[in-house]
Amino acid sequence: MKRAAPVAKAPRFGEERGVQIVIDGLGKTYRREDRETEVIEGFSLEIRRGELISFVGPSGCGKTTLLKLIAGLIPPSSGAVYIDGRLCAEPGADRGMVFQDFALFPWRSVRKNVEFGLEVAGVPRADRRERAERYLRLVGLEKFADSRVSELSGGMKQRVAIARALVVGPDVILMDEPFGALDAQTRNIMQNQLTDILASTDQTIIFITHSVDEAIFLSDRVVVQTKRPMRIKEIVEIPWERPRDRSSMEFVELRKRILSELEKENVMDV
Amino acid sequence: MGCKAIGGRYDPGNRAHRLARSACVTTVSLAGLVLVWWFLSVAIDRQMLPSPPEVWDALADLFANGDSMTGRSAWTYIGSSFSTFIKGFLLAFAVAFPLGLALGYFNLLREFASPAFEVLRPIAPVAWAPVFVILFGYQIGPMMVVFVGIFFPLMTSVIFGVRKIEPNWTDAAKTLGASPLQIFCKVVVPASIPYLMNGVKVGLGIGWMCIVSAELYASPVGGIGFYISNQASAGYWPGVFSGIFLVGVLGIATVGAADYLHRSLSKRMGVDAS
Repeated sequence: MKRAAPVAKAPRFGEERGVQIVIDGLGKTYRREDRETEVIEGFSLEIRRGELISFVGPSGCGKTTLLKLIAGLIPPSSGAVYIDGRLCAEPGADRGMVFQDFALFPWRSVRKNVEFGLEVAGVPRADRRERAERYLRLVGLEKFADSRVSELSGGMKQRVAIARALVVGPDVILMDEPFGALDAQTRNIMQNQLTDILASTDQTIIFITHSVDEAIFLSDRVVVQTKRPMRIKEIVEIPWERPRDRSSMEFVELRKRILSELEKENVMDV
Repeated sequence: MGCKAIGGRYDPGNRAHRLARSACVTTVSLAGLVLVWWFLSVAIDRQMLPSPPEVWDALADLFANGDSMTGRSAWTYIGSSFSTFIKGFLLAFAVAFPLGLALGYFNLLREFASPAFEVLRPIAPVAWAPVFVILFGYQIGPMMVVFVGIFFPLMTSVIFGVRKIEPNWTDAAKTLGASPLQIFCKVVVPASIPYLMNGVKVGLGIGWMCIVSAELYASPVGGIGFYISNQASAGYWPGVFSGIFLVGVLGIATVGAADYLHRSLSKRMGVDAS
């Protein structure tokens, strides 16, 4: 009998995969004091099942808005998002989210944070506990199950948040600059750990980051964005083996190219 | 000085040193208060301002022999005041917490309720005392004054707490599949508890002030407030001051207990107490 650590899947990357998420003409306009700000306009993209796709773009270009639209946390002004043909208008447990500031519940222990999604779904206590344990082990925090959130370091907090999002078994995980609040060293460690964690799960990941380096290190595809209103400037396929070598020629070349693309965006109206 | 004698230099990192230091500071401060009082009582030399030893004697007599005018013991007065105080507090808690949650959560409700509450809030709770005493009687009247005194700070804190909730907490709960009711019970309520405790802390201080002043009206069944007014009408000023002294000491104890509760609960809820 195999002990079921989060079910080991066939190799995550490289195989042919179908389209899972369709973003169809998505638009968002904010109205504030009679001024309209068009954050996203006519945004369309197909995302494949099980891929890690990241969005990089100039800050304030509407990346977080895009993620919240997919999560259903804010309503779009136009267009829609479909997952496996289902319209996603309301937030739901099929789309987990990981926030830059972790958004853990400080009044709950680490274990209770991870159990939250199971608790609201009415999973029985024993089952809940067992599943939370399994995911805490996956992120290497089983020893901290009964700790308070405030006792953890930033990197540990984000691992709790990742376990909390994974434990309910969502189809998609939306990550909004998840490592943006961490120092450079922790950030690199977390990127490696995320690669490991994701190797044993089959979720589609939509990842938002400021860091081109991070995007290239983690992603199957990198979507380079323009400034507001946000449009797709370029989609870069990265079919390389993991873990990736940040100092390899091709890595450095690609980073340089994407960075210069972004720089043009920033120069445009500064 | 005495503080230094304990162990050479003062070390702020040492718990015993900190405690000894704060004990010294408190002692000096209180001794200063007594000295100023003593000086004034001698300088002014009116019977309305008795000296500390006179008051001390009156206080000792009150505890040893009870109130010679009514035959009640000191503990009867203290117990009476405290029981009114606690009842008023519990009533305020039972009303202000759910109401604060509702007003914080439902914007429309708050918009409609705010102007009415804003008019009522600045009214000193004691202003209601004559009305309440006649309306509710001597037993319930003072309790209602305490209720009014505690109600507003408590409700305001809870409303504030609910509105200050991290949007990411509710967003996270939504993406984990929580329903609006579950978000309310499992996020909004626990997240507002540190603010509730802050309101309790402020409310208890105000409530304690209310109870004594309300009792000045509610003569026959009152607690310490009644004792003070009774002694004053008899013209026995050391008795009045022994009552005032009791109010002060019990007030410190109440606020201290509330402060402790606030800090320990805030820590439990993982939020900085401030």
